[in-house]
Amino acid sequence: MSVNGTSSGKRSALAPLGKPFAIVGGVLAVVAALLPWVTFGLNDGNWPDKSTLQFFDAPFEVTGFRWHMLLLGVLILVATFAPIPSRGRVIRALGWGTALVSFVNGAYITVKGGGLAAITALDGAVAFGSIAGLVAGVLTILAAYGIGFEPVGQWKVKLSTPLAYLVLLASFAAVLYAVAALLTTGGVGAANPYAGAIFLSFLGFAAGVLGALSGVGFIKWLSALSEQHRVFSVIVLAACALLLPFTDAGNEYWMTVAANIGIYAATAIGLNIVVGLAGLLDLGYVAFMGIGALVAANFSGAATAHFGIALPFPVAAIIAAIVAGIFGAIVGSPTLRVRGDYLAIVTLAFGEIFTRSAQNNIGGITNGSNAIPGIPQLSLFGAEFNKSLTIGAVKLPAGVLYYVLIVLLVAATMAVFANLKFSRIGRAWIAIREDEDAARAMGIRTGKMKILAFLIGATLAGLAGAVFAHKNGTVSYESFKFLESVTLLAAVILGGMGSIPGAVLGAALLFVLPEKLRDFADWRLMIFGLALILIMRFRPVGLIPDAHRRAEMIERADENAEEAHEEAKRA
Amino acid sequence: MRKHSVKSAAIVGAALLVLAACSSNKNEAGGNNGGSCDTSKGTLTVGVVAPLSGNLSALGIGIKQSAELAVDEANKKCTVKGYKLAVSAQDDEANPAKGAQAATKLSTDPTVIGVVGTLNSSVAQTVQPILKEKKIPQVSPANTNPTLTRGNDFLTAPKRQFENYFRVCTTDDLQGPYAANYLVEKAGKKKIAIITDGKTYGEGLAAELQKQVTKKGGQIVGSEKVGEKDTDFSGVIAKIKATNPEAVYYGGEYPVAGPLSKQMKDAGLNVPLMGGDGIFDGKFIELGGKEGDLATSVGAPTESLATAKAFVDAYKAKFGKEDYAAYGAFSYDAANALIGALATTLSSGDWSDSKRDDMLANVGKYSGSGATGDVKFDQYGDSTNKVLTVYSVTSGKWKDVETGTFTG
Amino acid sequence: MSVLLQQLVNGVMQGALIALIALGYTMVYGIIQLINFAHGEVFMVASYGGLATYTWLLPEDLKKVPYVALPLMFVGGIIVAVIVAVIMERFAYRPLRNAPRLAPLITALGVSVFLQEFVRNVYPNATSNLPYPKVFPEGALSLGGVNISKTGLLLVLLSVGLAVVLQTYINRSRMGRAMRATAQDPDTAKLMGVDPDRVIVLTFIFGAVLAGVAGILYGGYLSNINIDMGFQTGIFAFTAAVLGGVGSIRGAVIGAFIIGLIKTLAGQYMPGGTQYDYVWIFVVLILVLVFRPQGLFGEPERVRA
Repeated sequence: MSVNGTSSGKRSALAPLGKPFAIVGGVLAVVAALLPWVTFGLNDGNWPDKSTLQFFDAPFEVTGFRWHMLLLGVLILVATFAPIPSRGRVIRALGWGTALVSFVNGAYITVKGGGLAAITALDGAVAFGSIAGLVAGVLTILAAYGIGFEPVGQWKVKLSTPLAYLVLLASFAAVLYAVAALLTTGGVGAANPYAGAIFLSFLGFAAGVLGALSGVGFIKWLSALSEQHRVFSVIVLAACALLLPFTDAGNEYWMTVAANIGIYAATAIGLNIVVGLAGLLDLGYVAFMGIGALVAANFSGAATAHFGIALPFPVAAIIAAIVAGIFGAIVGSPTLRVRGDYLAIVTLAFGEIFTRSAQNNIGGITNGSNAIPGIPQLSLFGAEFNKSLTIGAVKLPAGVLYYVLIVLLVAATMAVFANLKFSRIGRAWIAIREDEDAARAMGIRTGKMKILAFLIGATLAGLAGAVFAHKNGTVSYESFKFLESVTLLAAVILGGMGSIPGAVLGAALLFVLPEKLRDFADWRLMIFGLALILIMRFRPVGLIPDAHRRAEMIERADENAEEAHEEAKRA
Repeated sequence: MRKHSVKSAAIVGAALLVLAACSSNKNEAGGNNGGSCDTSKGTLTVGVVAPLSGNLSALGIGIKQSAELAVDEANKKCTVKGYKLAVSAQDDEANPAKGAQAATKLSTDPTVIGVVGTLNSSVAQTVQPILKEKKIPQVSPANTNPTLTRGNDFLTAPKRQFENYFRVCTTDDLQGPYAANYLVEKAGKKKIAIITDGKTYGEGLAAELQKQVTKKGGQIVGSEKVGEKDTDFSGVIAKIKATNPEAVYYGGEYPVAGPLSKQMKDAGLNVPLMGGDGIFDGKFIELGGKEGDLATSVGAPTESLATAKAFVDAYKAKFGKEDYAAYGAFSYDAANALIGALATTLSSGDWSDSKRDDMLANVGKYSGSGATGDVKFDQYGDSTNKVLTVYSVTSGKWKDVETGTFTG
Repeated sequence: MSVLLQQLVNGVMQGALIALIALGYTMVYGIIQLINFAHGEVFMVASYGGLATYTWLLPEDLKKVPYVALPLMFVGGIIVAVIVAVIMERFAYRPLRNAPRLAPLITALGVSVFLQEFVRNVYPNATSNLPYPKVFPEGALSLGGVNISKTGLLLVLLSVGLAVVLQTYINRSRMGRAMRATAQDPDTAKLMGVDPDRVIVLTFIFGAVLAGVAGILYGGYLSNINIDMGFQTGIFAFTAAVLGGVGSIRGAVIGAFIIGLIKTLAGQYMPGGTQYDYVWIFVVLILVLVFRPQGLFGEPERVRA
């Protein structure tokens, strides 16, 4: 309501300028793409993609961020003239993309180049590319306010089933391509000194294009379509995940990262049952993963394992899951009497007790601070999981088998989660989350249900922990500290509490971003903390909100807005 | 509205133009060159894996910057003909899983010729096998756990664990017993209490010390543990005070040891506190280390070692501060060992994957004189520099008391 | 015997420090039902604020005069703590006042991580422990083999004294009545003309002042500070607040002393010794929560809308 007020205010001043600004912005973005961006080759090596290019030197050879700028510029012009729904939103998103790409590149060059001379003029060389790009972005955003924001476009296109399948297939393939591109931007090696900045620039471009697609209504239409053909979508999505090793991202490094993401994602799905469905906050959740890992390590035949027997992995994994589940039930049992924040503290206490006991080598099973190293790699038909694999003429990167195993694990946990969520038990959990007393009054045995949530969640975490033990080869108490619990919780919240793909997306983001932004390692945790605050402030429902949850949160947000409005009136 | 934004845009633009005259760090050589050396064959990378964020970052950053110093010097001196050297430092967050990712990232880069790291022994356990796959030498500046090189039965049946793993620091089974000998035989302290921080380094050191103390006829009167994040040690101190120890051995690092020593004194337990190289740091005294406190450290005293002073001066000149922390000098030596071995390897041709076997062999054969003394590796990958020195706090400074080697 | 006495003294001193922080937790929880995880960091920030005051603001000749330097450090530390607490309340917690209960708790975790890392990155040399200036009464009194540190004594006196002042203020003053009213029923209190925003900000400020005092005393008592100090002490303090019954001033103080005593006595006498001392704290916490969820001095938990 208040938002509308301000935008209409802006519109009145900018309305006649909407189209002209957009045209100028688009043209300027194209020009910026062809301008030089740096006045000299930076000391760590040339900034990528011919950044010292002279004016209109080679218009047909632009690559990298220049190519992105060019695309954005052309898209702005197209969006200005083409008959599309919700033009304002599209142009605003493209404007932000342009501004972000220019800003990231400009700021980074400025910092690395040791001053603004690097992006303006030095020794007769001029490079106003980033400034022109930034101006283009700002003009385009202003233009969007001039054009005004209609509601997101509604597509009424109905497709026959084969055609729908084709569209879905193409879309998911595009997603796969985008993910692979996102992972490999800036190079896979360690040597590229600019990898972090190139990634951020790409992220800006991707955000702009995605925002435009969402504005024009495509994303909404697509998600409705995939909802319609759910089974097909799930199969295609799983197939896409399994195809990742065949893309550019199919190298040992990203396989390792992806496998770790998968392990944490599976754990986060377990946590999502406890927190997202049953509404029980658990601050010591990573302990269950630790218990699973320790059990698997002890039965793996590693030299320092407490039990000198090597069980086959499936058996060890099942034992690990069961033991973790039992501990889950024990930790969950205070829920019979303790509620809300107090429960959070109880779980935190259990988590701390776990770390302390593991560190002190309790019962001789954790090997204390020396950890349990040398856990054998998994192998199947003689193929060790950490080695590369050759199928016919295709050589797959090392670690690909772990990746496949973990994709299957995540798919399985997602299936468990989805089935539970829409079952009687899931509805009971949601009822408890909403109002425990009412749930009890309706005949739900709340105590049993709450312990069940902990038990199932912990079992999934234990299973993930067993894979973790073999994947990393070492189990140390240091991997299961409080901060890990917070990270898992953050993954669940970022993705969207109670939503099925949410936890996976959250875990992926929380692992990929630090990997891509290793240059900024000093500030990693600080940004993480700030991100938690901002998400809770501006998008408490997460990135992929659960439909039910979304309704509930937005309703509350509206109430808040009304209150704020009233207060503002009083003041 | 419009006028306003146009005006502010104009102001910003004008300001940018004014600032345009301002500085840049353009370096005349520009581009790929590092000084006057021939770097025509490209860049080779020295990897670093250490905790660069979180609460161990002080130690990790010391490791990273010291390695950078070594690489810088090598670039200036054209140690490696035809190549420019670079450092790629990866954060392991002191977490074994993240360490594995960092190591994998380095191992997929064909230009990485070796890795300096890790800080934590538990992280080393996940990094070792990954680098071994690719035959990338790893030289640790800080892992003191003897099992990393010689396996579980390191005393009775030592067996090389990873042919790519080396370390320039000493191991617990030398440093601990050496300290025990000094305490029991030289200082005549028969009743010794042990406090540890529960982490690999301190636990290992204290365990080895304990064995030797009993062997030499001393007595361990108490064995306590402080939490990683504890700061108030009065409970632990009161408990060991009741056993009347003549000395306290602390297994851990200076951030806890300094305050611990001060709190011991405040609580009326005025006996010397002894520790390993983890407490041999000026900050220990700043944080409360008292007169008469003892520490062992690897190598001969710094004053007698020109290379050590040169390292400290060069570090200060490059980074402005002496924050190389406990393992900086070791990291500098580790990086130099890799660079030296690389120079030898490349004397017979250009870098390629097939050179990795040579490289490993050359690291094993490397011999040089570094900031911590002689740098050489034995058949297990351990440092042959088994010279240890006992220091004591004398009028607010560490002063060497005794230098020798552990002989049993 | 003297060991037992010594451990009791140690426990009381640790308890006194925890109590100062626990008061902040208990007041904030009492009024807005928020576990302010970041409160421990306010205490940490105050410690660094005091150190910064000493290092950069005090002229050299005044640094040697404890009677001037110490109060000024208190003022500096408290100002920093209050500023941080007010910003935190205004920008992190206030917008979430009507959000589901998980949201502010997660925000609090975020604030906690942010503050720690902010200090680590911004304060010079904060990556490792920093020594605290020696402006505190040095040495210890010795009574029959029991050592009592002078700074520790000051800590106990200030802690109990401030708790009594706070209790009196809340029970007697007009503002205190407004606080109690808001804690009991914010809507009715609003109808009665109490401005809840003001009350809540004031609560945060009181908590920050106490945490500020604790931060400076901590530095003096233990002679050095680090960025982790807030987290652990904060957890103990929250445990103390829960143990005593959240919302109760008296409960928080007594709970804190109990925690301090458990830590030293369990380290001395329980199996496992000092390795497991704080496992016992959490065991006691869990037992209390399970068998007396309202804490030792709290009222039974009301179900709130």
